Amino acid sequence: MRKLLLTVVIITITTVLYAQSYTFQNIRKTSHRSSDAIKEGTDVKGYYFFNVTDKIDKNTNEYTLSIFDNNLKLMKEIKFQDSKYISILESSFNGTDLIFLFYNSDAKTFEYQIYGADGKKKAYTYNRQLTKKEKRYLESTYLLVNDDENTYKGLYPIDGRGFISNMPSREDKDYTFQVDYFSTEKKKQWTFTPTEGGKRFSGDYLGYFNNVVYFEVLRFGGAFDQKPDSYIIGLDLETGKQLFEKPTDAKYRFYPASLSVLNDGKAFIYGEYFDLNDNIAKDKSKGFAFWGIDEKGKIMSEKYNSWDLELGKFLDVNSKGKITDFGYMFVHNMIQTSDGSIYAIGEGYKKVASALGIAATLLTRNSDISTIKVKVTDMMMIKFDKDFNVKEAKIYDKNSNNIELQSGYDFVSGPLIAKMIKYYYGGFDYSYTQNNKDLSSFTVCYSDYVRGKGYKGSTFNSISYNEGKITTDKINTKSDASRSWVLPAKLGQVLIIEYFKKDKQLEMHFEKLN
Amino acid sequence: MNYSLSIFECHMPESKINTGFKIVLSLLFSTLHLWAYNQQKPVYKFQQDDSLLKQSYFKDASAQQNKLINSLGKEYKDDYKYIYESRFKEVSGLLQSSRAVTDPAAHQYLQSILKKITDVNPELKALQVRLVFSRDWWPNAYSMGEGTLAVNAGLMIKLNNEAELVFVLCHELAHFYLDHSNKAIKKNVEALNSTAFKTEMKRISKQEYNAGKQLDSLVSLITYGFRRHSRENEAEADKYAFTFMKKTGYDCNGIITCLNLLDKVDDSDFSKPLILEEVFNFNDYPFKKKWIQKESMIFSKMTNDDSPLTAKEKDSLKTHPDCEKRIALLADSIHAVAAGKTFIVNETYFNQLKKDFLVEMTEQLYKDKNLSRNLYYCLLMLQDKENLQFSIYSIARGLNRAYESQKDHRLGTLVSKEGREYADDYNLLLRMFDKIRLDEIADLNNYFCRYYQLLMTGYEGFEEEYSKAKKIKTQ
Repeated sequence: MRKLLLTVVIITITTVLYAQSYTFQNIRKTSHRSSDAIKEGTDVKGYYFFNVTDKIDKNTNEYTLSIFDNNLKLMKEIKFQDSKYISILESSFNGTDLIFLFYNSDAKTFEYQIYGADGKKKAYTYNRQLTKKEKRYLESTYLLVNDDENTYKGLYPIDGRGFISNMPSREDKDYTFQVDYFSTEKKKQWTFTPTEGGKRFSGDYLGYFNNVVYFEVLRFGGAFDQKPDSYIIGLDLETGKQLFEKPTDAKYRFYPASLSVLNDGKAFIYGEYFDLNDNIAKDKSKGFAFWGIDEKGKIMSEKYNSWDLELGKFLDVNSKGKITDFGYMFVHNMIQTSDGSIYAIGEGYKKVASALGIAATLLTRNSDISTIKVKVTDMMMIKFDKDFNVKEAKIYDKNSNNIELQSGYDFVSGPLIAKMIKYYYGGFDYSYTQNNKDLSSFTVCYSDYVRGKGYKGSTFNSISYNEGKITTDKINTKSDASRSWVLPAKLGQVLIIEYFKKDKQLEMHFEKLN
Repeated sequence: MNYSLSIFECHMPESKINTGFKIVLSLLFSTLHLWAYNQQKPVYKFQQDDSLLKQSYFKDASAQQNKLINSLGKEYKDDYKYIYESRFKEVSGLLQSSRAVTDPAAHQYLQSILKKITDVNPELKALQVRLVFSRDWWPNAYSMGEGTLAVNAGLMIKLNNEAELVFVLCHELAHFYLDHSNKAIKKNVEALNSTAFKTEMKRISKQEYNAGKQLDSLVSLITYGFRRHSRENEAEADKYAFTFMKKTGYDCNGIITCLNLLDKVDDSDFSKPLILEEVFNFNDYPFKKKWIQKESMIFSKMTNDDSPLTAKEKDSLKTHPDCEKRIALLADSIHAVAAGKTFIVNETYFNQLKKDFLVEMTEQLYKDKNLSRNLYYCLLMLQDKENLQFSIYSIARGLNRAYESQKDHRLGTLVSKEGREYADDYNLLLRMFDKIRLDEIADLNNYFCRYYQLLMTGYEGFEEEYSKAKKIKTQ
């Protein structure tokens, strides 16, 4: 403080300082969840940082929510007082409004606060009171936050209208999921929780298209059911009413991972597929599929690319359909460029034996660690034509990392585990994909770790497409900071955040990707 | 002769160009015009600094610093030492670098003006002053408080006459004469060590709750005091400057014109703003609009970023705030004095120096790793056809450096980000740096160098930069 004031003396008597980066002073603790990029689609529009700035009394803190634009210019500081038990969980931006989800661990409440683009808080908030059972369940899933690697995100923007939230939930004895819609046009909310016809449900948000919200659902008959039913549901955005339920069995059994609007405004869902008799929860997938789907759940088109035939032409695939060394592909994103080509951006994973799990099982019999683990391997980009025929496929090497699993996953199928790795373990290295408005360029970003002669440490890597040309780049992110992490920035850039514990400083600066 | 069409509107409708031969002819034609134009102007020769003078100034400043540190009493010694050492670091940074101008002609000219002031104000003669021009780009002049006074090239290129320069010097001399800097240091150090401040700090540090808010209030209060005092000093220095100036024979209206100029000093000083779509547009590599496309500023409403600034906001962002108030305080006194001369020492050299300083500060920006502003001035010179060969060479060199820095992810250390405080055309250049891709920098520089190759024949360093650009392109 003294030095700060003496510096003020020097500034007032001599020169003016110009800053290009931003530094927060007096930051005692940081977590990934206290800061994030605010995005409109894939376009980064700004950042938020949430900090405790004062203690008001023994139960109350003063919090500051700082909102920056995408050049790191401070736009707004929102100060408010609230319980010392609150934390920020996530945020999202729908093009007109910002939503912040706060969790009060003492009162067991979620509070969704909505702010306009002018930084003014809306007169209404949305709240959810958790039961003790729900709290316990969420603490083992969504709220498993204290390791900073957790990346679970359950808030999805609906352009200019509101947000969809998807969270694990407990209804009596059933384990299920809860979908909420929070309007930003006026105070309006609906909730959807599937409980009928099964004891356990898992739901993944696929996307939104023409007033319909699409979810992939796995329904388990009982707690120990190993062969779930797979189906897609469509919910009416206005009312939350279920519009259709469509089993994912057609020519093959399909397990969609996401939805994209491609080929002049048509909705396509995509993911891995299995033989009709196979078990999605246990068996190995055959390949990668696309379904065209309309607002009523009608399947308009089907396209299947098997690992061994169609992809095998471009990659080294062994007889079992497993791409050598790469494993299976979890598709993170799908993007269509201005020339009509479609690019699937994926990451490899495979199940391998866990020495730690085997040893623990032998020693303790009731080990918490699974005898298998997941090895996350390389990045892959597949180019399709507009009819989803494979045109090119390329693997981008990176160091693999291993994810130890909890016991019980030994016989669970790859695609299911991949979703766990994605949403609960945050184990994939993929970070995000961004594209420009005219779709003439996009950038895929992922992290890696390098053990080279000149540099040993983490890197942030990119695969960039620009007007038909693909380039790769990497930034060494190791520094003297106690911790550092990377947030998305404007297309072709990243924001590096470094926390210096000793100085209680959080520093941020941009780097351009090539 | 009108060359602007041949230089900047070099893009022609495709239908009119049927063969590569025609392109070559048109290129040759346009660059020949430029070449003919440039033959009328000699190549700029950089100023040659007097290193002995610089050393002697630094020696004086060091001796004075040592004397000052040794004379410190026990009271608040550490605080004074910290401030004086920080100040000396600034002085050393100026006197030991290429920033300080000690070129004999420029330096002598400045001393002649100083002499005009001190000759008629004997009270200033006793002051041990080290007055220099600096090659810094920002429009300012300053007194460090220990005898070092500087007038930045960025201010000099904006001044209209010697009378305005004399006011600037009188103002800085007044600060030094009145010992404002040292008095401010003393006052502020005493404030920070006062019983009241210490007691308050101690009390806040013991607070379990609301400590942050109380600390914020205390810091705001004390920094407000520092700044208020600083503005009072400005008004006093203006008053004394007027007293010194009116005896010199220079026109005191220079005070008003100078303050008016300072009020608008952040606006562009070129005949027209930089038009990137023209200077970076070539037949076979047209300018890409996406480089400067405005993004939707969704959070603009939070600060009314796109709305006109209020007069108060606009003033607070200026390099020199409060100019109108300062004029109002002196206007009556100035009007009561008979008009003097705008030039006494050397009008021709004054005007020459302004032109030279544009090149000198542009080159200094490159040395100081401020690449975006360096390129900004080079592009403006190219657009205005001033120092043409220097600007072309510097742009080629700057683009190569931008490429290499971006490749190593260090471009962010050389270019600024868009900001409300900058001129619109400079912000567009910053936006372009923000958006342009690595391979596009390589392409752009290749087409740029090729376009000007003929004109640059024989210019030292250009061929090297062009070869580098070609090599980069093939990587």
